[in-house]
Amino acid sequence: MDVFQNLAAGFGAAATPWNLLFCLFGCLIGTLIGVLPGIGPIATIAMLLPITFGLDPLGALIMLAGIYYGAQYGGSTTAILMRLPGESSSVVTCIDGYQMALKGRAGSALAIAAGGSFFAGCVATVLIAAFAPILASFAEQFRSPEYFALMLFGLVAAVVLANGSVIKAVGMVILGLLFGLTGTESQSGMVRYTFGVPELYDGIDFVPLAMGLFGFAEIMTNLDRKEGARVLAAKIGSLLPTREELHRSMPAVLRGTTMGSLLGILPGGGAVMSSFAAYTLEKKLSKRPQEFGHGAVEGVAGPESANNAGAQTSFIPLLTLGIPSTPVMAIMVGAMTIQGIAPGTAIITDRPDLFWGMIASMWLGNLMLVIINLPMIGIWVRLLQVPYRLMFPCILVMCCVGAYSISSSTFLVTLMAGFALLGYVFAKLGCEAAPFLLGFVLGPLMEENFRRSMVLSFGDPSIFVVRPISATILVATLGLVLLIVLPQFRKTRDVAFQE
Amino acid sequence: MIRVKNPQDFWAGLLFIAFGAAALWFGRDFPVGTAMKMGPGYLPLYLSWGVVGIGAFVTLRALAIEGPAVEPSRIRPQVFILLAIVVFGLMIERFGLAPAVAVIALIASFASYEMKIIESLMLAAGLAAASILLFIYLLAQSMDPWAWNI
Repeated sequence: MDVFQNLAAGFGAAATPWNLLFCLFGCLIGTLIGVLPGIGPIATIAMLLPITFGLDPLGALIMLAGIYYGAQYGGSTTAILMRLPGESSSVVTCIDGYQMALKGRAGSALAIAAGGSFFAGCVATVLIAAFAPILASFAEQFRSPEYFALMLFGLVAAVVLANGSVIKAVGMVILGLLFGLTGTESQSGMVRYTFGVPELYDGIDFVPLAMGLFGFAEIMTNLDRKEGARVLAAKIGSLLPTREELHRSMPAVLRGTTMGSLLGILPGGGAVMSSFAAYTLEKKLSKRPQEFGHGAVEGVAGPESANNAGAQTSFIPLLTLGIPSTPVMAIMVGAMTIQGIAPGTAIITDRPDLFWGMIASMWLGNLMLVIINLPMIGIWVRLLQVPYRLMFPCILVMCCVGAYSISSSTFLVTLMAGFALLGYVFAKLGCEAAPFLLGFVLGPLMEENFRRSMVLSFGDPSIFVVRPISATILVATLGLVLLIVLPQFRKTRDVAFQE
Repeated sequence: MIRVKNPQDFWAGLLFIAFGAAALWFGRDFPVGTAMKMGPGYLPLYLSWGVVGIGAFVTLRALAIEGPAVEPSRIRPQVFILLAIVVFGLMIERFGLAPAVAVIALIASFASYEMKIIESLMLAAGLAAASILLFIYLLAQSMDPWAWNI
């Protein structure tokens, strides 16, 4: 099979008027929430899940993916103009982007951020097209032990790369696993932790959990802080970068793209980690490290390319192995399940239109995003002036109606209130909800694969180390665990998160 | 006198212990089985003890090592947000979509200290209209815009 032939077919599938519209809609929403601080892609995708109910699978996935990478574009706008991260992956862009804005180079910073993101998006699209099928055919040899090992690796990576305390992240993963066990156990048919509520027999519904933990907890913690009018730091000015800025940002974009693409594929990586790593790398490599923090253009170009590359390549584990490596991908699993698609190696062979259509849409989406972000920047800036007191009731209404519409069950709405409170408490106590969500999604899958492995080996646990692929993955997992224990690594990790 | 040096971790640890203990208690009748023939209680048992253990460690560590305090909560926003969700659950089937949305939008706007009543009323009306348009007409969800089932 030829990659180009497949891509052409993908463009055919993605370029229908409706799918283009979904792509545009996703990119617009993504940019919007990227620009607005206080609402992230996880909450938004969870919020829009009910809407995708009525769409065909390709349209739904195109739209949801657009939200994620669109948010990476939008996030830089707020970071540069207001020194507020519109998105957590734009935190580092605040540092030098804002300084550039103070020097009157805001337009140029925005243009470089968008240009770098576009380049990274194109490269990442090609990477997915080239490597995903190879990885998927390799993964066809995978059986339950390999999947179990891979999921374990994913969870450990999520813990290592989580922001903050490692031990608390482990606790959150286990808590998520426990919540994931709710419902009917597949082997014995026994119901666990349902407290006699029939709505829980199929497990805790994903949508109210994600909306509560991410959407509502976000609103509640935001309202704990003082609201204030948001002020623009500077005029946008000319969008054209100078020759020197271009010259300096080109290599940074290349490095950022490479870094982001690699980290995105790793479980637990994704956009946030990529941007942090890229910033650190640029600072290390620069001949003028003293300029960082005072408006170094590399400090914008590198991270912004990296976060977009990372956002897109984090689809690879999902599309090839069916394993969500980040919370956003965990939500995409939810979206696929709603559409009746089992994420996994079979997607490429069984639903090539879906797979290639989605990849093609990513490229189209990136093209749209450059147009959405640069000439239309004024509109987004004006949206920033909408006060939060008008925004959060809209989010709340969307979530409530959405959660109810999934199953016409008022129980789910009440459950969502419970998760909102839980998410708020987590946030107050410095417990990251992201590892919890991954544990929740992977829990039942891991139990199932562990059990199947045991059946395969007639109850011999050595099956995990005898099989070469699963042994390799387990060794890598062990390596990650050792990394956490090593004080040297912990120090650099802490430094990386502080910057 | 023991002093809590890291309040965030202290409470987080207790929360872990509470969840683990609850999972152990409610899962006490699940057949555990062995690693080779896992019963439905196998994973719950070990995961529960795992989270209890981590909770205990985090709590004890919080007595020894300094850490961040829990940021003070404002009561008003949290109460109104949670109230709005619960009220939606109570109203949607009895009164229909439009009244439920309008009422919870109004309740929710009380969560902000900066709310202005006229502005909130307009927002509530706008959201009610928008949700009928979006969910009933565009997405064709089976919900009544208005109802009276008390």
